[in-house]
Amino acid sequence: MSMAAAAPRLSRRLGEIVFLSACWVATGVALVALAAILWSLLTKGVGGLDLNVFTKSTPAPGNEGGLLNAILGSVMMCVLAMIGAALVGFLAGTWLSEFARDSRYGKVVRFLNDVLLSAPSILVGLFVYEILVAPLKGFSGFAGAVALGLIAAPVITRTTEDVLRLQPTALREASVALGAPVWRTIFTVIWKSARSGMLTGALLAFARISGETAPLLFTALNNQFLSLDLTKPTANLPVVIANFALTAYDDWRRLAWTAALLITATVLVVTMLARILLRGNTRSS
Amino acid sequence: MNVQLESPPETAILEIAPDTVKLAIKDLNFFYGAKQALFDVNVSFAANAVTALIGPSGCGKSTLLRTMNRMYSLYPGQKASGQILLDGEDVLSPRANVAAVRARIGMVFQKPTPFPMSIFDNVAYGVRLYEKLSKADMANRVEEALRRAALWDEVKDKLKESGLGLSGGQQQRLCVARGIAVKPEVLLLDEPASALDPISTARLEETIADLKSEYTVVIVTHNMGQAARLSDHTGFMYLGTLVEFGETEQVFTNPVTARARDYITGRFG
Repeated sequence: MSMAAAAPRLSRRLGEIVFLSACWVATGVALVALAAILWSLLTKGVGGLDLNVFTKSTPAPGNEGGLLNAILGSVMMCVLAMIGAALVGFLAGTWLSEFARDSRYGKVVRFLNDVLLSAPSILVGLFVYEILVAPLKGFSGFAGAVALGLIAAPVITRTTEDVLRLQPTALREASVALGAPVWRTIFTVIWKSARSGMLTGALLAFARISGETAPLLFTALNNQFLSLDLTKPTANLPVVIANFALTAYDDWRRLAWTAALLITATVLVVTMLARILLRGNTRSS
Repeated sequence: MNVQLESPPETAILEIAPDTVKLAIKDLNFFYGAKQALFDVNVSFAANAVTALIGPSGCGKSTLLRTMNRMYSLYPGQKASGQILLDGEDVLSPRANVAAVRARIGMVFQKPTPFPMSIFDNVAYGVRLYEKLSKADMANRVEEALRRAALWDEVKDKLKESGLGLSGGQQQRLCVARGIAVKPEVLLLDEPASALDPISTARLEETIADLKSEYTVVIVTHNMGQAARLSDHTGFMYLGTLVEFGETEQVFTNPVTARARDYITGRFG
């Protein structure tokens, strides 16, 4: 150190102040950006929020309308995608963590999953277009759900593997030592111990797909009318935002803001709900 | 033993009377991959007795314990050869039903490992694997196990609460209760008190001493006092070999082999 004998304390304190300030500034920048986004979303989205949004379908320009068709379409596709992705992701993550930790095949699968994890979502959309939409000659809600599921599954697989690996070996051995088969040990003791992490992974995946637009453009497309038929083109919030936000019609732009607000609020509420549920489950005394 | 020898013998293994043997280990060799961890272990454990295994770290005590309930089978690289006879049946045989063996040979680990479920479910978990009991019978079984593990009075009013909320000592006694609730014949204890404070240790030792009326207990411990207090027989291991095995009093007061003598009198270890 270049300072005099009594200086180390001062320089250490100085270093601490500089480092802490940097942390504060970085946190502040992130929070300000987040607050700005939420603020504009709230101010521009709340204005359009009325009963019509939940009872009427997307209108022609200048007409009264809402987002009912898009909300229903998004909910149906997301739920379907999450069911499939959770099934695949939980099991694939379990296999990677518990049965293929050091195997060559496991390493290949883990690598491919990581590639898929960071693949651009538009590629996933094009892929599903090629294998489902083009051969069947039609956009459909099912194709949309498959595309969303393909985006969600690698996220769930990865997080599941990570949290299962964190579970102590002693816990596995304790269950096995009682005479429990390995599969039973995994599905009761290990999953139970890892459930909050697994659920968090699923929620991350849900948050990711609930705003995905590109894959739906090639698969579910859109639908001006209310439809529960997933074999037909299906309306959804992200594509409505994309279509309405860049138009000259004020009422369409207002609906786009409202749709964005709805997606954000949903992610927020789902996340908070899960946290509350988890807290109730894991409270120990 | 060869009495003509001037120098002390390399090994001294007491033969247990055949009619009291519960678990007999014959020519056991054990490998972690290419590394051999146990060398030609031959020893028998008596029924309704506590046998302590002592020795310096890395001598193979825990490894020996983990062969007895086939715990090593979870790991593909680990292999054992020889025989471990439980009432004459070979536990190591490829035909042995490993899960059934583990239900007969219970194990408690170094660190408490309560499952993330209620105290009641922790104890009932193992029982549910092999028995279908009515609600009342299960409640009785859980209470009996918790009483034997000297935990009942502390948890009887909070059986529905998570086992993770108990103190370390209570958690370890919960693990003992979980182990004995399935009514095994042998109980393996792998340094069960090493993570506990003195008071919890004393309670656990009382529990172990009480268990021997029904179980064959094998305990690995680093605590010589604990081995001397608790056990009927003591085995001393060194570098993967069982060096000396005999009555606890004899091993501690008059060890036959030089290595056991050095270890017990504190010259190494």
